[in-house]
Amino acid sequence: MSYIVQPDVVKYACTCGILKPISNLYFCRHCLEIRCSFCVCHEADSHYCGKCAENLPSSEARLKKNRCGNCFDCPSCHQQLTTRAANVGPKNGEDTKATPRKVFYLLCLLCRWSSRDVGIPDQSAVSGGWPERENVYANRLQEIQDMYKGIVLSDKQQKLEKDKKKQRRYMSFTDRTGITASMLRKRVGLPDVPHPLLKSKPKEPTKAIATEDVEPFLEDLLTQPVNLSLITTMEQRLVQPELQPTTVDKLFPIHKHLSVKRSQRCRSCEHNVSKPEYNPNSIKFKIQLFAYYHIPEVRLITVEPLRAGKVSELLIKFINPTQHQTTVTILPYKVQDDLTLEECKSEIAQQPEEKQSIPVASSQPSSLIHSSLSRQPSITIKPRSVTVPIAASIEVPNNTFILPPRDDAAEYDDSGDTHNIQDDPKLVVWRKSNKAVIRLKIIPESDSKIGDEVVVGFIMQHVYVNTITTVDNKEPQKYEHKIKVFLKLGGLVGNE
Amino acid sequence: MPIYEGIGAITEKLVVVMDIGTAYTKLGFSGEFSPRYILRSEVRCKETGIMRNIRDYKNERDLYDLLVDFLHVLYFKYVLLSPKDRPVVIVESLLCPTVFRETLAKVLFCHYEISMMLVVPSHLVCLASLGIDTALVLDMGFSEAVAIPVCHGLPVIHAWQALPFASQAVHLNLKSMLTTSNTGISNLTEWDLEDIKVRCCFVTPRERSKEFGKPCPSLTVCPDVKYPIQGSRSITIPGKIRETAFEVFFEEDNDHQCMSTMILDAILKVNLDLRLQLAENIVLMGGTVMTPGLKSRLKEELYEQLKNERYSKLKIKVFKFHSPPCKDNYTAWLGGAIYGCTELLGMKGLSRENYLKENRLPDWANMRDNLRTL
Ligand SMILES: [Zn+2]
Ligand SMILES: [Zn+2]
Ligand SMILES: [Zn+2]
Ligand SMILES: [Zn+2]
Repeated sequence: MSYIVQPDVVKYACTCGILKPISNLYFCRHCLEIRCSFCVCHEADSHYCGKCAENLPSSEARLKKNRCGNCFDCPSCHQQLTTRAANVGPKNGEDTKATPRKVFYLLCLLCRWSSRDVGIPDQSAVSGGWPERENVYANRLQEIQDMYKGIVLSDKQQKLEKDKKKQRRYMSFTDRTGITASMLRKRVGLPDVPHPLLKSKPKEPTKAIATEDVEPFLEDLLTQPVNLSLITTMEQRLVQPELQPTTVDKLFPIHKHLSVKRSQRCRSCEHNVSKPEYNPNSIKFKIQLFAYYHIPEVRLITVEPLRAGKVSELLIKFINPTQHQTTVTILPYKVQDDLTLEECKSEIAQQPEEKQSIPVASSQPSSLIHSSLSRQPSITIKPRSVTVPIAASIEVPNNTFILPPRDDAAEYDDSGDTHNIQDDPKLVVWRKSNKAVIRLKIIPESDSKIGDEVVVGFIMQHVYVNTITTVDNKEPQKYEHKIKVFLKLGGLVGNE
Repeated sequence: MPIYEGIGAITEKLVVVMDIGTAYTKLGFSGEFSPRYILRSEVRCKETGIMRNIRDYKNERDLYDLLVDFLHVLYFKYVLLSPKDRPVVIVESLLCPTVFRETLAKVLFCHYEISMMLVVPSHLVCLASLGIDTALVLDMGFSEAVAIPVCHGLPVIHAWQALPFASQAVHLNLKSMLTTSNTGISNLTEWDLEDIKVRCCFVTPRERSKEFGKPCPSLTVCPDVKYPIQGSRSITIPGKIRETAFEVFFEEDNDHQCMSTMILDAILKVNLDLRLQLAENIVLMGGTVMTPGLKSRLKEELYEQLKNERYSKLKIKVFKFHSPPCKDNYTAWLGGAIYGCTELLGMKGLSRENYLKENRLPDWANMRDNLRTL
């Protein structure tokens, strides 16, 4: 997602330890944790064709090998092919008064490749019935595959029988320990003994016969000039793995590959953090727990020129995206904080003790109700520690500040209503509706050199109002949520 | 490719089969006769936007992140399936570095939460589509050529031969030859070189190669090719380069090793009674093998080497070659796809529960043992 604050000057630390801009983060309202594309579980939701926007149920997509039945790509340049109509007059000897027939062929509007180039007959219906090519080895391979299935199956049955009958009187050495190099050498010399226990011997595959002949050298290579436009490129060969045509006259239209809509699921609580609508034409979501809608956004306004060891003034803007007032506290970030990964949320007191806590970890089967029965609980990815070279310290303000709820109407209100908030004038320099600009003092480390990238980090603690109501809790809950924020301030311009 | 496979296909469970090669990854489903996709084994770096090959990793963490991104593309752009709780068959070289296979398993089990993983060695499973269990397998991929004899379904690991004679060697040779014959083309990428190699070059017969080695060869070289590059410019690829780009494979190095000696040395390391059988069951695979003229030249070279004292004791009279029912660059993948649709997956596959419990992969020794019955 492209976003107004690009390049990524402000980054937030995801729960998994990866730094991302807020537009790339999710916020799971059930765990009250930040999630990102790395630490959520992605799922394929619905298949669709990007050209004709047809929605295919996954069983049908599977049957069609993830390709659209009606749309084709150009085998030469991989752009979409267009169906073209042409009129054919009556052929010789036919009734000359007959109305001309319409026939259709495929044409690439980019490279002008056409289905006529390779001798594919024109079709009389728009939707085609274009000929498909078969794997020439299909019969032999099917035979081999069935035989292997049979062999392994009888192997399995044998093993089962053996396990049942015998007390494992003689367990072979190799079964237990794996084979050693010397054992192997011995083994290699031995011919394969057919198994005595085998009752109904599965059909052995007919062995391929090796021949003395190999592909002969083509003398033409030495004499014929090469016309590169007739020889396919690697890309053109590999989009048709089965055929891998080496010359352009064997190119064949390719069924367009389907695309998939994805949903994202929190790995701790198995709730979706993002789920698109089924319809491929819709760009809306059924569920969209993007951090952008829940976590105060930080934007860099300005910073004084950075000099090593000298205090610079940093102005940053906070924006509250929620419908609830929040209080923001800036806490110091220390690198060693990451070594002891602390809990980054805490419920604000006055809640009764027995209240069911947020379902954490995969141990709670109740959280699986939403998912299909076969779904196994997720493994939570072990968080990494944040590794950002912090090159400046922050003078942490003592006061907190309030961000009023978002009010879209206030965007057009120039009255300068400050909600009668009593601010610390040293901290808050400007405010309007749900936004506030605050002033921080930073000191780049005295041993940094000119041109060094200066990064500052702090922990933003904000009050998050969870509007999800549970059975035994109808009231919205207030939580204090902490998130690490890192700002890239640019290069150092001078020394002391 | 037939788009409808009939209703029978739908009842079986979907098993993803992947063969992550150095240059190309072969990807598809078990029970199918060709991979659905052959893709470059590279992924776009999120920070720099540059494509990075997944084997160019700096450390284990870097590899983990590369594989996470790479598999994400495989699953959600191509396979179009949620990887979670689904089995995977991995076709892997016997010489695959431990860090790679262990990181791959970690990514598949911990990050993508696959239910089951079956790892099959490429040199063994490539024989599946032929229905044979004894052969000398030479795999010529991107970075190296590896010859391993397989006897009665067992790869004879101690006989393996590996030399850096594969695509990369040709690309390097091609690059140095082209830069000396064309001025001002130093910035040819690996993919440019591959395209030139694939579309213009071929392996010339032994006789001509010997003639080229003389100070003033008396032969007419094949025609030059004008090759367009970077849009408007074009370079000339002389006929001599077209013919000799692959000669690196056949020039013996300081240890007197080349492509033909690899095969014979591998045979030498196997028991006497199996040697003739191996010579009569040679399987060549890997993308490089598809080069025009390569197979016939290799055959010539093999017979030539027999005159050598080193190999005369082999008493080999005849070499026979298999031609698998597929394109040479996915023979190993096809074997994985055949095994993937058998009960072997359930019998020998490593389940997520076991992986998380043991936190390690069974090693090849076990794997070889497991596959012996086939
Ligand atoms: Zn994350
Ligand atoms: Zn379509
Ligand atoms: Zn085209
Ligand atoms: Zn959650």
